[in-house]
Amino acid sequence: MTSFTNKNILNLLRNLPRISISNLKNNDGAVKKNQRGRAQHGGDKHGHGNKGSKARQNFMRPGYETGNNPFYMRFPREQYYKDHHTKRQYPPLSLNSLQKMIDLNRIDITKPIDLSVLCNTGLYSIKPEDKHFGVNLIDEGADMFKAKINIEVQWASESTIAAIERNGGVITTSFFDVNSLYILINPKKFFQRGEAIPRRMIPPEDAILYYSSAANRGYLADPEKISWERFVLSQKYGYKLPKIEDDPDYEMLISRKDQRQIFYGLEPGWVINLKDKVILKPIDPQLKEFYKS
Amino acid sequence: MLNCLSRQIRALPFTFTASCRLSTLPTLENIESTEIEEPPLIYGGYTNVRQAWVSNLDTTKDNSSAIIDLHPQVFGSRPRIDIIHENVVWQRKYRYVSYANTKVTAEVCMSGKKPWPQKGQGRARHGTRRSPLFKGGSVIHGPRSHKTHFYMLPFYKRVYGLTSTLSVKLIQDDLHIVKNLDLPSDDPEYIKNLVDSRLWGPSVLFIDDTDTMPRNISLALNEIKHMNLMPVYGLNVYSMLKYETLVLTVAAVKKIQERLLYQLHRPDCNYANRKFQLNQQN
Repeated sequence: MTSFTNKNILNLLRNLPRISISNLKNNDGAVKKNQRGRAQHGGDKHGHGNKGSKARQNFMRPGYETGNNPFYMRFPREQYYKDHHTKRQYPPLSLNSLQKMIDLNRIDITKPIDLSVLCNTGLYSIKPEDKHFGVNLIDEGADMFKAKINIEVQWASESTIAAIERNGGVITTSFFDVNSLYILINPKKFFQRGEAIPRRMIPPEDAILYYSSAANRGYLADPEKISWERFVLSQKYGYKLPKIEDDPDYEMLISRKDQRQIFYGLEPGWVINLKDKVILKPIDPQLKEFYKS
Repeated sequence: MLNCLSRQIRALPFTFTASCRLSTLPTLENIESTEIEEPPLIYGGYTNVRQAWVSNLDTTKDNSSAIIDLHPQVFGSRPRIDIIHENVVWQRKYRYVSYANTKVTAEVCMSGKKPWPQKGQGRARHGTRRSPLFKGGSVIHGPRSHKTHFYMLPFYKRVYGLTSTLSVKLIQDDLHIVKNLDLPSDDPEYIKNLVDSRLWGPSVLFIDDTDTMPRNISLALNEIKHMNLMPVYGLNVYSMLKYETLVLTVAAVKKIQERLLYQLHRPDCNYANRKFQLNQQN
């Protein structure tokens, strides 16, 4: 299993008889019998002794008051988790883990990072079927974060944004609808279907405000306002904002997806043929009009 | 595959790269030429590199002249007997279909006549002789035909099964490495004498990296029931245990190490270990 096997274990085997099919054995207790035996297979008293009240007793469930309206149901209460199953979930990813992925070369920071890249590391995954709508980049390890990246996430706190911009990076929060998410987390599977890349849908009503706010670096916000908010945040957190314009990776840092675009460099309406390695683009004016941003 | 692995290893940070460097086995040509001058192979951070003699099959006497370094993750891993056992049970079961069958009452071939009148005989009431109460009647809860016992062992249990078995075979002196499978003659007696003189076997499994085996050994082993040939892609736990001795060629060792190290270090291990589905691709 490991490379640091205790040599004593191996040396012990040297002096034991040859391991063969006939003398193998599983660990004790490895195979669990999870059925209650019936009839001759152990169906007798089932741990309740012999006859009497103890063999026949049946406790009422906790809180049951023999037919009265139980105490726990007598008063109205605040349903703290009401509708929790319909709310959008954003599984967290810490800056610490992100830095680790970058250090271990699971992520190439010379290119923009999006959800597709994060899922391809094999260390982070989301399930759209469980109402996951993308990644929430949390600020754990913000002080240790050193990479200069252009990252697109679905949710980010203020201190996370500060940690990324302090290092000269760029962060955008953007919304993907469920269909686009399925495409984004496993692009190969989608391309193999041979369908045209669809348009990304706009956010639902209750998310519009978040994604059009410059303070959240929303993808629908005004770029002028975003650069002002970048300055404001640097003043608040007390760091000197590195100038992106003078950066050698300027092109990479300013690259952003269109609000209808799912992949970097691929536009809606295109068909990716993996077999022949060609991209088919629509030429019909009606189609072009349909896929236009 | 090797390119893929080396790319992934290159992608790892320096310290880790040093600790899982691939074995660079000497090729057949330079085994003779550099057997003395060749510096020992370095396996990064591993201190417990396994070693084995590289022997030959072209003479009955063993002329081992070279030592081969074996990767500790493949040939010196923790010998998990329970995982070996699970592999053996799985290999027996996944291809096993039980054809045991018994008849239910409706299927029993017997007259539908009432055996005796309902009343007046002083005997118990019965409507049919097909009932399970009668001899020759149906069977209750009996086996019904075509029961498959197919299941898949989790992917990494299969991988660890191979590494555990290889390690066990090596430490128990049941694994031998040869340059190649070239024999001087196709006489079965020759290979029998060779196996006897080296205290191998009696049952031996020869493994090469290709499935087109040399002519002489193929003809010789065709006559011997308890020795067999197998390509690397057929390597499995059950066969390794069934034969007492395992003989690998240097090329086979190289390929086994390459394949198993790839599986042990692949980044998409979650994908490889996902729950098996019947319509699963690759």
